[in-house]
Amino acid sequence: MTESLVKIRNLSKLYPTGGGGFLALSELDLDIPSGAFMGLVGPSGSGKTTLLNIIGTLDNQSGGEIEVLGHKVSTLDAKESAALRAEKIGFIFQSYNLLPVYTVYENVELPLLLLKMPKAQRHEAVMQALTWVGITDKRKSRPNQLSGGEGQRVSIARAMVKLPQLVLADEPTANLDTENSLNILDTMLQINKDTGTTFIFATHDQKVIDYMQRVVTLIDGKKAKDDLKTGS
Amino acid sequence: MILKLAVRNIIGNGWRSLVNVLILSIVLIGMVWMQGLFDGWSRTARRQMQEWEFGDGHYEHKDFDKYDSFTWDKSNSKIPAELQSLIEQGKAVPILISAGVIYPQGRLTPITIKGIPHDQEILEIPTEYLRVEDQTGIILPAVIGTRMARSTHLEEGDILTMRWKDIHGAYNAYDIQITKIMDTPVPPVDDSQVWVDFTHLNEAKALQNSATHIVLKDDSDIVKNEQDFRFITIDESMQGTDALIDVKRLSGNLLFALLLFLAMIAIFDTQILAIFKRRREIGTMIALGMTKRQIVKLFTIEGCLYSVFAAVATSILGLPLFIYFGVSGYKIPQEMSNLSIAGTAEPIKCYYSPSMLLSTFILVLLITALASWMPTYRIARMKATDALLGKV
Ligand SMILES: Nc1ncnc2c1ncn2[C@@H]1O[C@H](COP(=O)(O)OP(=O)(O)OP(=O)(O)O)[C@@H](O)[C@H]1O
Ligand SMILES: [Mg+2]
Repeated sequence: MTESLVKIRNLSKLYPTGGGGFLALSELDLDIPSGAFMGLVGPSGSGKTTLLNIIGTLDNQSGGEIEVLGHKVSTLDAKESAALRAEKIGFIFQSYNLLPVYTVYENVELPLLLLKMPKAQRHEAVMQALTWVGITDKRKSRPNQLSGGEGQRVSIARAMVKLPQLVLADEPTANLDTENSLNILDTMLQINKDTGTTFIFATHDQKVIDYMQRVVTLIDGKKAKDDLKTGS
Repeated sequence: MILKLAVRNIIGNGWRSLVNVLILSIVLIGMVWMQGLFDGWSRTARRQMQEWEFGDGHYEHKDFDKYDSFTWDKSNSKIPAELQSLIEQGKAVPILISAGVIYPQGRLTPITIKGIPHDQEILEIPTEYLRVEDQTGIILPAVIGTRMARSTHLEEGDILTMRWKDIHGAYNAYDIQITKIMDTPVPPVDDSQVWVDFTHLNEAKALQNSATHIVLKDDSDIVKNEQDFRFITIDESMQGTDALIDVKRLSGNLLFALLLFLAMIAIFDTQILAIFKRRREIGTMIALGMTKRQIVKLFTIEGCLYSVFAAVATSILGLPLFIYFGVSGYKIPQEMSNLSIAGTAEPIKCYYSPSMLLSTFILVLLITALASWMPTYRIARMKATDALLGKV
């Protein structure tokens, strides 16, 4: 088995709330090898988004250990975790979170600007990413001129454009029709095979689940099932 | 990179940015105009005072105190040889100052009598009217200014009695005739001043070729042996006038300080609103790998860009105005021209020095930077995960 890209030991997350806090994750152990194409499933409120945020170094755990891409997350300072995200982690949000004043092209270009990539190279990468999600014709539009599905595809392109080692996708297909969902999943699977990029999805969508090589089920913040599919 | 993003944000923000830029550029236009006006005033006053009063600097008797007329009889000396030779070459002009009184319409009016050679060509004072034609039954020709004429109700051709003491303390009286009422823009040459011929005033004071002031045409002619005199540069002579202009400048600036403050509030407000409305965006930028420091920088630069764009807008929108006031000038309102400050008699041509333009811009830049930076403490407090969800 390949080396673990994400290594989680006895992880817990306590949200501070009025009555002593809410335990969103607990006693969680998980190893995700490099090149995985896997899903986190579970009922609403089971902690999927919380876990993705912690893996993506956007949030801190309350207990336990987590190592992402060889870094102990708890030891990273703000600058180091920002650099880790900029270089190696791509996010796809349920609500896309596109920057409203930028065009589609500029939205997708932003992660490359942060990496200070030269312009010509940037252009090539952006066009490639827009081609993957089939939205090159809308590159001059602004986010508010896009349909929900188009917006989601742009946000996928933005996550993919820098070819990160790890892509964290929270309900990436929630706003897409079946055809678009399958297209995009095909694309992501292809990228996964070609580049070895690791994908972690949080999803309810059966179409997505069908694509996964491995499905981890969370219930009330605990790992309930860990199914490894064979044959894919 | 951040600059590029900031420019995109500002342009993407559309008319909202435009309003901020316009407000700022109105403030900038006003500030530049105001500064230009006062700088122009100072320059005009300086030129006029050089033409009418101080030349390119002047010698003053070391004991002279312009506020104490009782000392004036002692504060003159025979003109030193070197200066005398300059006077003979037409490079300097002596002035003798004495206290005196006149009785226009029978009212006693204290005056300053100034003797100046009738053939001098350095100062603008129309001294040709001081030439004494009839040496026998002497009526001394005298020149006064329009303000003096207005306050004493004197007219050209009027003959009146003027009294003064000679240096031995003996009272003397002359009849003088107003041969010219001159229009001078420099009040100290006008108010309470009566100009007569230098040689005749010397005689009348029982002096010989003595002077209180010696005005130079060119300050490169400074002499080595100045004896009882000391040289006063034009800069020193201007200090009082500049101080008065600065008082006016201050009250003018107060208005723009207020406007600038309002612009600052507008930007501050825009920023607070922007940070609140754009918290999802902030969360996204953090997820994409920007540090909070970079985001704070982004928002601050966005604010500063308003003043950069405003500077551009100012140079375009304000240019016709600046040129108009720079070329045609601005006439100071009447109530101000009654002040005893030179430079108000003719329209003042605004003067825009590079250092003034630069310092005004930097001031506005600093203030917008401050106004856009202060609200960013909210960014530092934000949690990325909350911001992403649009929570505060
Ligand atoms: N900031 C917070 N403060 C308090 N509780 C929170 C916070 N964020 C999430 N929670 C709680 O933690 C639990 C897990 O939330 P999470 O968003 O991870 O669920 P999820 O599995 O992603 O659900 P969904 O499928 O609806 O997206 C929920 O019960 C939620 O109410
Ligand atoms: Mg969720």
